[in-house]
Amino acid sequence: MSAAQERREPGVKETPIVPPPPGSVADTFKAALPDVEFVANQGVLDVILTVAPQDVPRVMRAAKDDPRLAFDFLRCLSGVDQMEQGLEVVYHLYSFKHAHNVTIKTLLPADDPQIPTISTVWNGALWHEREAHEMFGIVFQGHPDLRPLLLEEDLGYHPLLKSHPLAEIEESQEDFLREEAPAAAATAAGAPPAPVDERAAKIALAQKKAEAMKKAREEARAKGLSPEDEKAFVQEALKTLEEGS
Amino acid sequence: MTIERELDTIDVNFNVGPQHPATHGVFRMVLTVDGELVVDLEPVIGYLHRGAEKLSENCDYRQAIGFQDRTEYLAQFNAELCYVIAVEKLMGLEVPERAEYIRVILTELNRIASHLMFMGAFSADLGVFGTLFMYAFRERERMQDLFEEISGDRMMYSYFRVGGLAWDVPQDFVERTRWVVKQARQGIADIDGLLTRNEVTMARTRGIGVMPADQAIDWGFSGPMLRATGVRHDLRRAEPYSIYDRLEFDIPVGTQGDVYDRYTVRLEEMRQSARIVEQCLDQMPKDGPVVAPGLKRVLRPPAGEVYMRTENPRGEYGIYLVSKGTDKPYRLKIRSPSFCHLAALRDMVVGHYVADAVIILGSVDIVLCEVDR
Repeated sequence: MSAAQERREPGVKETPIVPPPPGSVADTFKAALPDVEFVANQGVLDVILTVAPQDVPRVMRAAKDDPRLAFDFLRCLSGVDQMEQGLEVVYHLYSFKHAHNVTIKTLLPADDPQIPTISTVWNGALWHEREAHEMFGIVFQGHPDLRPLLLEEDLGYHPLLKSHPLAEIEESQEDFLREEAPAAAATAAGAPPAPVDERAAKIALAQKKAEAMKKAREEARAKGLSPEDEKAFVQEALKTLEEGS
Repeated sequence: MTIERELDTIDVNFNVGPQHPATHGVFRMVLTVDGELVVDLEPVIGYLHRGAEKLSENCDYRQAIGFQDRTEYLAQFNAELCYVIAVEKLMGLEVPERAEYIRVILTELNRIASHLMFMGAFSADLGVFGTLFMYAFRERERMQDLFEEISGDRMMYSYFRVGGLAWDVPQDFVERTRWVVKQARQGIADIDGLLTRNEVTMARTRGIGVMPADQAIDWGFSGPMLRATGVRHDLRRAEPYSIYDRLEFDIPVGTQGDVYDRYTVRLEEMRQSARIVEQCLDQMPKDGPVVAPGLKRVLRPPAGEVYMRTENPRGEYGIYLVSKGTDKPYRLKIRSPSFCHLAALRDMVVGHYVADAVIILGSVDIVLCEVDR
């Protein structure tokens, strides 16, 4: 279950499926393709039709060529990751002749998302399908060129899938924590506990050094060494301290 | 387009961009040329892809407004408008009238500013003169000052909110806007006088990059690119949103669909936008709320989906928004007009000279942040 679902409020109402009014574009589709099964729903702005993936090429061809429909303009083609239900491909069409709109949706299985291309119907689908391919891994059968468009080559994942985390930094931080935790446990068990705080460790080291320098200087003065030799003596003491620690 | 070849020559393949002043951003064209003639072209995009859609899915509905500015950075108000209307449609919200008028005023001013940017860059592409670039920017600067005064930022306004506006405009807004529009009208006339009948413009743009109307529709062209082919289609008129059904304006169209027509359509659109702004300033309620009452800080639109489209300076800007009833958009797809126009660049350029390729690309008026998203 995703984070988005968890945060859903209990009182949220699902929008019910409202059949479009009679005489809408849904009826024209049903008249043009009597053997195709449509699930029609009146959306906020447009009529939404859901069809089976294998019917998509026929529906699209009819949508463009049938004079009653005449959808000559592909507004948008989007992929939507519906998680358990699969991957959805959404087509938004517009007709300049009749000035009407329709949204056509189809659901593909998430493990093998394949659908015939519609770039043979509208040229404009070429780049939209390339984008949906790289972002969701949907394979558009018969598409002439499915190379990555916006992403780099050989990326190895599809970033717009809900299973892909937003940023890799979250993952790498988790990895870091996972590596750090056993190391810390090992030190706690065996050797004397190291200071956890890096800054505190640095301060402790500096204090230790200052102590050693003060001690070495006093020793040198007691011996009556010259200033140059005194300096060298202190340096020597520091070196032994560093090697020892 | 078939190309007649006179001599037996070897085609040369080379890159224009990604870092090149003629590409208007980070964009690469792989050109195959036979001498000076372009025989093949491949647009390569994606250099500015930042995953705005994925990021929006991880922000709440109000935070996602900011990504609209960063997507369409020359027509920020237009992009914000499309997004906020999409959310309002899902929620069934009514926006106060004063907010609607202010939104339309700013959106149309932004359209003028965006087209001014086009005029400046286009004249530089043509090699006419840099002076025009400065003239266009002088006018644009006045608008940017106004926008900055209203929103607090020169570029990333984030001023529109779901249900209205972030806050009310300054007191002298009407007078200042009138002055800005008056100045802009003079600036548009200056550009018209310098560029429209200019011999260089005529020689270099007429009959270049022609796209017939039926093919343009097939490729998903919209906005000035489509109107230049003679299709009289404007979403503000065809599917009126906000208060556009109360406003009078003409839809300029071209005849041939060449670079010159794209230029003249945009020039006339600026005048029409100025007309719209003046009407709005006359009709606007003097005072009143600018945000719908009773809105919560965190919005949870009911589950559903909407594809909202608005007429942006570059064409049809679409937001496909899927809500699952949570505080975040489940899916937000941005349909950017330049993306669709660039896909057809090969068809427009092949058969022209390399120098024309730059002008044709300029005539598309691309915003690469919007293409790559």
